[in-house]
Amino acid sequence: MTSVIRTADLHKDFGRVAALDGLDLEVGEGQVHGFLGPNGAGKSTTIRILLGLARPTSGSAQVFGSDPWTGAATLHRRIAYVPGDVSLWPNISGGESIDLLSRLRGGGRGAEYTASVQRLSDAFEFDPRKKGRAYSKGNRQKVALIAAFAVPADLYILDEPTSGLDPLMEVVFRHEIERVRAAGATVLLSSHILSEVEVLCDRVSIIRAGRVVESGSLADMRHLTRVDVSFAASPTATRGAAAAVPGAQGVTEEAGRVSLTLASDAVAAALPRLGALGVEGLRVSPPSLEELFLRHYGDDPATVPATSGGTGTGGGTGTAADTAPAGQVGAEAAGTAGPLRRDRR
Amino acid sequence: MNGILPLLRQRLRRDGVQLALWTVGTVALAGAGYGGVQSSYGDEQERVALLATVMANPVILLFRGLPSGADDDQMVVFLLLPWLLILAALMSSFLAVRHTRGDEEDGRLELLSATPAARWSPSVATVIHGTIANVVLGVLVTAAFLANGAPATGSVLVGLSCTLVGVVFLGVGLVAAQLLSTSRGANSLATWILVGTFVLAGAGNALGTPSDDLTRMQSSWLTWLSPFGWAENVRAFDANAAGPIVLLAGAALVLVAGALALQSRRDIGGAFIAERAGRASARSALASNLALVARMSTPSVVGWVVGGALVGILSTSLGAVASEIGGENPAVADVLDKLSGGGGDLERGIVVVFFMMLGIFAACAGVQTIVRARQDETRGTAEAVLATAISRVRWLGDYVIVAVVAASATIAAGVLGAVLGAVSLTDGGGLMRDAALAGAGQLLPAWLFIALTALVFVVAPRLTIALGWTLVMVAAMIGLFGPLFGLDEDVARLSPFAAALTPTTTGVDAGGTWWVAVVTAAFAAGALTLMRRRELASGG
Repeated sequence: MTSVIRTADLHKDFGRVAALDGLDLEVGEGQVHGFLGPNGAGKSTTIRILLGLARPTSGSAQVFGSDPWTGAATLHRRIAYVPGDVSLWPNISGGESIDLLSRLRGGGRGAEYTASVQRLSDAFEFDPRKKGRAYSKGNRQKVALIAAFAVPADLYILDEPTSGLDPLMEVVFRHEIERVRAAGATVLLSSHILSEVEVLCDRVSIIRAGRVVESGSLADMRHLTRVDVSFAASPTATRGAAAAVPGAQGVTEEAGRVSLTLASDAVAAALPRLGALGVEGLRVSPPSLEELFLRHYGDDPATVPATSGGTGTGGGTGTAADTAPAGQVGAEAAGTAGPLRRDRR
Repeated sequence: MNGILPLLRQRLRRDGVQLALWTVGTVALAGAGYGGVQSSYGDEQERVALLATVMANPVILLFRGLPSGADDDQMVVFLLLPWLLILAALMSSFLAVRHTRGDEEDGRLELLSATPAARWSPSVATVIHGTIANVVLGVLVTAAFLANGAPATGSVLVGLSCTLVGVVFLGVGLVAAQLLSTSRGANSLATWILVGTFVLAGAGNALGTPSDDLTRMQSSWLTWLSPFGWAENVRAFDANAAGPIVLLAGAALVLVAGALALQSRRDIGGAFIAERAGRASARSALASNLALVARMSTPSVVGWVVGGALVGILSTSLGAVASEIGGENPAVADVLDKLSGGGGDLERGIVVVFFMMLGIFAACAGVQTIVRARQDETRGTAEAVLATAISRVRWLGDYVIVAVVAASATIAAGVLGAVLGAVSLTDGGGLMRDAALAGAGQLLPAWLFIALTALVFVVAPRLTIALGWTLVMVAAMIGLFGPLFGLDEDVARLSPFAAALTPTTTGVDAGGTWWVAVVTAAFAAGALTLMRRRELASGG
């Protein structure tokens, strides 16, 4: 498969701050590639370099095989971009802005274009007649999204494109991604919304402090994570009984529920044991990106407080061991993932 | 009224530097005015002659105050007071809009109004803030007059007039901010009212009745429709009238109270004059960055072009009037000769001075367009455009093209205005030639500032706005006022506007055309070449 985006050892310094610290990113043709990371990890800086809006301090970046800094204008004919924070011209209407951006990309005229803008405006429930300054954040986002999807592109670079959209509009957005994926386009989708990436992306790169710490297909990553299992505590279904389930780790009891984690391939074997215990309110949560995420961001004690109940011993630390301390604390993070997630529900 | 103090502190902090500079500038103008009057019109005879000229030539009164006698102090008030007032008024109306509609448009007011500060405190804090700023300005202006040995009563009245006119326009800004939904709209409404009332006062004075000795003018009723007119009719150092002061204070109160009353009748984010809906789709022509820049710049460029045309009309019509008077009265001719910098031919001299003004207008039109590139960059819209199929150099080039067109159109309008002003004159042909030459001469200086601002934008983006405007203003001051304040002519010619090609009796004086051309080309080439290597610098 040919690479649409390829960066090698990309560095970008802003004064003394290293925004990118040896970033290696590869996105193959036709992929919908999730680009995950917390705020400040370097996602937008990477995207700006890929668009030729910023120049790397060192390392190389290639888009469609050419250097985005020198060939920006030519490359941009093939790229549609949605910035994370869309700003519009205050006294130009939303409809005009969409047309302008489309035309600057080389499209924006003809019946087919008009029809697709109409279709997108209807789908996104967008009023094109207001002036730029009058739009809310979500509506400004819609301008950029409609302009991006109204003219076909080979590569879509989307920087947190759904921030500010309501859930219904997120569904519309997903449809559009499916549509361009079917048309063979490549998508780089930067996000920190895990569910969105989980639903849409074939492959995911996780970026942290300016470097990619994990990259692969979701299936690969899931294999490395553990399934959360929990049930209501009862005289038979106790914490002790749970700990006796083969392969169980991170067994805790909290608020009347016992929870444990299992390797993905151990779940089927454990179900009869759980049945024999007569468990009620059984909940089996598939491994989620959230867990992966926590493994990579959880090594900061400030963000994930260590819990005393965790007895996990690093079932998923194998891939997280990019550095020794991270691997070690990663085990703690995996142990805390269960309780944290329950709290959120 | 919760939270007035923190809001007030925040306002003082946000505006501190800006207001300090504005106030220092105003006070410096007041202080320098004394020196200027004393050196230019040192003895009473000259002042009386100047006043006589002015009485006979109403156009001058459009830009000056109300003649109230030929003393030093009275002359300074006559020549300067309107400008001191206009500085206070501009400072205040911008201040009012910035802290009300500006904050509201950006969503900050919503944030504040959700705190116990609620609906009133932000506006009341703005009123207090603006009043403090105007009181400081008034006190310092008074001090500047006192320092020059002016009588106390008159000095205090001059300062008080500045303060009150400032507060009146604070009220105008506040009301405009209630009526219109954008700060840009509110600012232009307030500025139009300001310019309108300024012209009204000037026109009223021009249509007034001169006294027998030609040293005093009685304003016509038109002047009494304008706050500027009230302040001038205080006649500091002459009548020292209290009546107009009461009028000013009353108007200020009514406007401020009116703005608060209006505010109580609308939603946050709402306005009494709703914005029109825009187009659902773009016109066919809006298809390039050049079209976009042109579209964004058009309203302000139109303003400069209209201003340029007015300067042009005045340059020839005023020159002709002055020359007539000069022919009848040798003493007056002598004064006018001094006014226009000497050189013999009065009409041509006046055209040259006015066209220097025109060149400055043109440079402003250009600089404002280049500054837009920086505004687009910080706002984030530049990123959206640069992410499409356009190169960095071309992107900046589009702003330069629009800027050059804007500057050139301003000068063309000025030349056209000069031609219109000269049509009815008997020897109009010669003046038209002078205007065309002077206009052509001012093209290069205007372009120079476009190239210079573009270069600053590429090399030091953060300085674009401040440095771009400052450089034009410094060059304008040196060129226009340098000779008046005793600068050597060679030094004054460091200003590109003063170094421009000018018409002479036999042909042209090329001045510094060549160095201006070389520097312009170098700056433009430097800006566009370096733009190749410049990253997007969106950080404010």
